[in-house]
Amino acid sequence: MKPGHGAGGELRRIVRINEEIKSVVATAFKINLMAMNAIFLAKRAGQNALGFGVLSNELRRFATDLQQQMTVLREMTYGSVAIVTGLLKQTQLNRVLERVRAEAVGEGRKLIDEFLLNHAEAMLRHQERIAALNRRLTQMIADTAQLVELGSVLARSAKIEAAYGGGFSSSLMQVSSDFEQTIGDIQHSLESLTKHQFQESTE
Amino acid sequence: MKTAQAIYEDGGHKWYAIVRDTSRPNYLVDTNEYLIVAGDDAILLDPGGSEVFPAVFSALSTAFDPRRVSKLFASHQDPDVISSLSMWLEFNPDIKCYLSWLWASFVPHFGGDGDTFVSIPDGGMDIIVGSQRLQAIPAHYLHSSGNFNIYDPKAKILFSGDVGAALLPPGEDGLFVENFDRHIRHAEGFHRRWMGSERAKRDWCARVSQLDIEMMCPQHGAIYRGEDVRRFIDWFAHLEVGALKS
Ligand SMILES: [Fe+2]
Ligand SMILES: [Fe+2]
Repeated sequence: MKPGHGAGGELRRIVRINEEIKSVVATAFKINLMAMNAIFLAKRAGQNALGFGVLSNELRRFATDLQQQMTVLREMTYGSVAIVTGLLKQTQLNRVLERVRAEAVGEGRKLIDEFLLNHAEAMLRHQERIAALNRRLTQMIADTAQLVELGSVLARSAKIEAAYGGGFSSSLMQVSSDFEQTIGDIQHSLESLTKHQFQESTE
Repeated sequence: MKTAQAIYEDGGHKWYAIVRDTSRPNYLVDTNEYLIVAGDDAILLDPGGSEVFPAVFSALSTAFDPRRVSKLFASHQDPDVISSLSMWLEFNPDIKCYLSWLWASFVPHFGGDGDTFVSIPDGGMDIIVGSQRLQAIPAHYLHSSGNFNIYDPKAKILFSGDVGAALLPPGEDGLFVENFDRHIRHAEGFHRRWMGSERAKRDWCARVSQLDIEMMCPQHGAIYRGEDVRRFIDWFAHLEVGALKS
């Protein structure tokens, strides 16, 4: 974090991440519904769509896993808000102390210097906590990207299975294309998420 | 953390109540914050104290993009109402804060500068949020000497600040008033002691009686709905206030 932009910028970065998480949650919900429809469709198509049915089940599990992953990510961003608010308060206190220091003389000045020194250490510890949280967040995002890659493989396989769907082939094909597209949207969101995560808190 | 609960919704026009902070230490009075969304714009009513900022900010973020909150409204100058101002300003330096002219040079001690505040004259004013026109309704001396409510004529909701506030014990802290007689016991002591002026109280009762109100939302406690709004105004009109009893 660059000191000039400080906690406010960090807060804005968290918000950008959180808004992206919200859009992934909404899409995961959509995939869940789509997968349920696909399961029914596969049942109607019967023998010809057994493979497609299995894949739809897997896609549904993928959507549920993704939703859970997003819940954890979201809780992490809320944790960051609390930590960043703490840093924000310390930054504000620091500004006041610097002004006191500028006017203080003699014994008072010495006391303020000592205080500022301790305060700087506290700020440092706070920034370390933020850095640790960020490392965990980065790891979680990487795990999620892997999960989404799996979803993308499932969608592609469903497309192949759809070809064997007999009379239902074209509607199965439609459904699997929708899957592919929606998972593509998630990949896109994850890319922006990663971008925000590694962005310095400068605007 | 707090939760953001939708209490009114009509297309892009929404009211959220941000309530019930489970992690709040009990030396802090519990507060309700309200977010009015109108399309892409939003105003946060009584944003709360700096201690509850993380809880309010996180709960708000679940419902709405906080970058689009362009305005804050402070019913009065109390720390539980507006001491989070400096944090909102760190997040969004362009945010505007609507506030009684009386406090326009006092509240900057919490944060902000000459560009932050929009002074509300004693008679009140309209506040435009997105395509909605809200009204700042005078509620002076209840309890603060420069005090406003917010009325949303389309949603028929009155944000009443400290008026209607109740200090609810655990287990009786539902979002809405369900049993008026039971509920009002938790409001009585507060209104007797915090509200200072009989005359101001009568003025307020007469003024809000003219409004079509389906929900009355206080800064503390539960929301009054339907007939309970009228019941509250009648109850308040007959309550003796501004008398310190030993
Ligand atoms: Fe107050
Ligand atoms: Fe209050």
